[in-house]
Amino acid sequence: MIMNQIMAVLRLEIRKSFFARRGLWIYLLAALPLLMWGARAIQLQYRKERIRNSISQGATREKLMSIKPGMTREQVLDILPSPSERNSFRRRDGIRRERLSYSDGTLQINAMLEDDKVTRVSTDHGSADVTEDTVVFAAIFQFFYMRLAIFFGCMFVFMNLFRGEMLDRSLHYYFLAPIRRDILVVGKYLAGLVATVVIFCGSTFLQWWALLMSFAPQGRAEYLDHGNGYGHLFAYLGVTALACLGYGSVFLAAGIVIRNPLVTAATVLLWESINGILPATLRKISVIYYLKSLCPVEVPMQKGVPPPIAMLALNVDGATPVVAIVGLLALSAVVVFIATRRIKRMEINYSTDQ
Amino acid sequence: MSAAPPPIAQSVIAFNDVSKFYGEVLGVNKINLTIPPGITSLVGPNGSGKTTLMNLMTGLLQPSRGTIEVCGMSTNDPETFFRAVGYCTQFDSYPKGFTGFEFVYSFLRLFGWDHAESEQRAWKAIERVNLVEAAKRKVAGYSKGMRQRIRLAQSISHDPRVLILDEPLNGLDPLVRAETIGLFREFASEGRHVLISSHVLHEVDIISDQVILMSNGYVVAEGQIKGVRDEIEEHPIQVLIRCNKPQMLASKIFESEHVVEAKVHVDGGGLLVKTRNAGEFYLMMNRIATMNGIEVETVAPVDDDVQSLYEYLIGGDEGGSK
Repeated sequence: MIMNQIMAVLRLEIRKSFFARRGLWIYLLAALPLLMWGARAIQLQYRKERIRNSISQGATREKLMSIKPGMTREQVLDILPSPSERNSFRRRDGIRRERLSYSDGTLQINAMLEDDKVTRVSTDHGSADVTEDTVVFAAIFQFFYMRLAIFFGCMFVFMNLFRGEMLDRSLHYYFLAPIRRDILVVGKYLAGLVATVVIFCGSTFLQWWALLMSFAPQGRAEYLDHGNGYGHLFAYLGVTALACLGYGSVFLAAGIVIRNPLVTAATVLLWESINGILPATLRKISVIYYLKSLCPVEVPMQKGVPPPIAMLALNVDGATPVVAIVGLLALSAVVVFIATRRIKRMEINYSTDQ
Repeated sequence: MSAAPPPIAQSVIAFNDVSKFYGEVLGVNKINLTIPPGITSLVGPNGSGKTTLMNLMTGLLQPSRGTIEVCGMSTNDPETFFRAVGYCTQFDSYPKGFTGFEFVYSFLRLFGWDHAESEQRAWKAIERVNLVEAAKRKVAGYSKGMRQRIRLAQSISHDPRVLILDEPLNGLDPLVRAETIGLFREFASEGRHVLISSHVLHEVDIISDQVILMSNGYVVAEGQIKGVRDEIEEHPIQVLIRCNKPQMLASKIFESEHVVEAKVHVDGGGLLVKTRNAGEFYLMMNRIATMNGIEVETVAPVDDDVQSLYEYLIGGDEGGSK
């Protein structure tokens, strides 16, 4: 019977959660990183095409690889006299800088010269660098996707479950049905969870796939076989689902207890942002503490990063995966339980008409 | 051998010293009522506490003091309570994007019934309010009267023993109004409770077995309708009719001896009629409209006169419970 009722609530809520007209921006939030990775894939394709079309006369792989820092301009031109591209300029410091690019059709090298001496040589295969791009992926995931996209997406979907119906004046239909209010809370929570997990996990998977596609076949195989690529996918999907679960419970309860969603969002966002500098006990009363501990790739903070950003990355005394998962599940269960207690005393008083 | 009648507590709606305050503001105060089966009307001006009383009865509000029992049940056990009680509120709002059928059907699934049973009950309820043709259209596109009827269908779809209706005749045209009243009578004749609120005494006069008069959060009178009926009949009611041929309608309605006055509205889109017998007037107006091809858009009693009637009935003693 209870399962039937939960399914009935799910059926009523699911369409609203997926297709709320006011909530279409959630899809945009979820799709933003995907668009970025898509744009990167297009850019790499363009670069690969350029390398293929700008073969330097007499360039072989050996000759390309023989160019090293410390060589003079003449030495470079002796080996490869016809660069496919050449740029030179002089800055205020008076040093003459030059870039000589050579391509054999699959590899491009760029020799950077200062006053006719090679200072740096970079290579470009027209495909992404596995190590570098997985860190970029982690940074986007942690600082934008997890902290903003999923956060605000969950805020809208879960707060709307009760607060939205109060505003629409349609919550009383549920309260007048033969269903326990705690069952109603669970049903609505599950509906919100299904919607957010499908939207955000779907986007996480597509982002990871776009990242994978930006690697050269060799890099792709390396990432999947030795770089724990599938492990990363599994971890990111898990973190996304747990983020929906955790933030979902917080915003579900907030939607029942607090009237103003902006105040709620600002308070929770601030609490989550300062998590890294909170005392150990308080740190555990947050969603981000557990999520950060589960992220598979750490984002290294370089010198010169503004303190607010550095604070976001701070993960002092992170939890083990088991503790993080159990902790987050427990936190969500406690918050949903509080919501079920609170809903029992909830009154319907849309208007001033008495 | 016939079955023993249910204990009295199982067949009445009982308010025991119920009060509700919204902070400092009084909702209802010291309500003691015992409502037997049949049609009972809660009547009072806007803000008198009718909706509060109905919301308290159905658990949408919690009493600040006192207890309420509906046929021996309490809202603390919603799974039992709401199988027996149907409440048609006056909130003219719906879950977004639903058709009339989906609206009734979806909430029936909360009763735990399967698809076939819920579908069958939904269609039966929609049929009872005469809305089958529009059932597959979105509720958002319904007229006010249709929305009122689909809400009614939703509240009766599970065949409740107690039917609570907040201003159920608002926005209904005379024909549908008559059908709806027939439906209430049918319910009451089966020994069920039908509790109707209205701020228009004349409206409930013809259908009620008993009446509860409310004013400023207090019950000021209760009992058989007969006592106030004579007063009502002497007191003309004002009805506002919006139609396409108000002049023609005005010229015809004086066939009724109960019509005291008729004024064409300044915008030329309706007329204001004073009558001593609203029921007969509605029937006659229907006949005239049909015979003369007059399209009636809305028919609504105007409050002003009813207010004065309240004042007359309630007199200066508005503050105390009776």
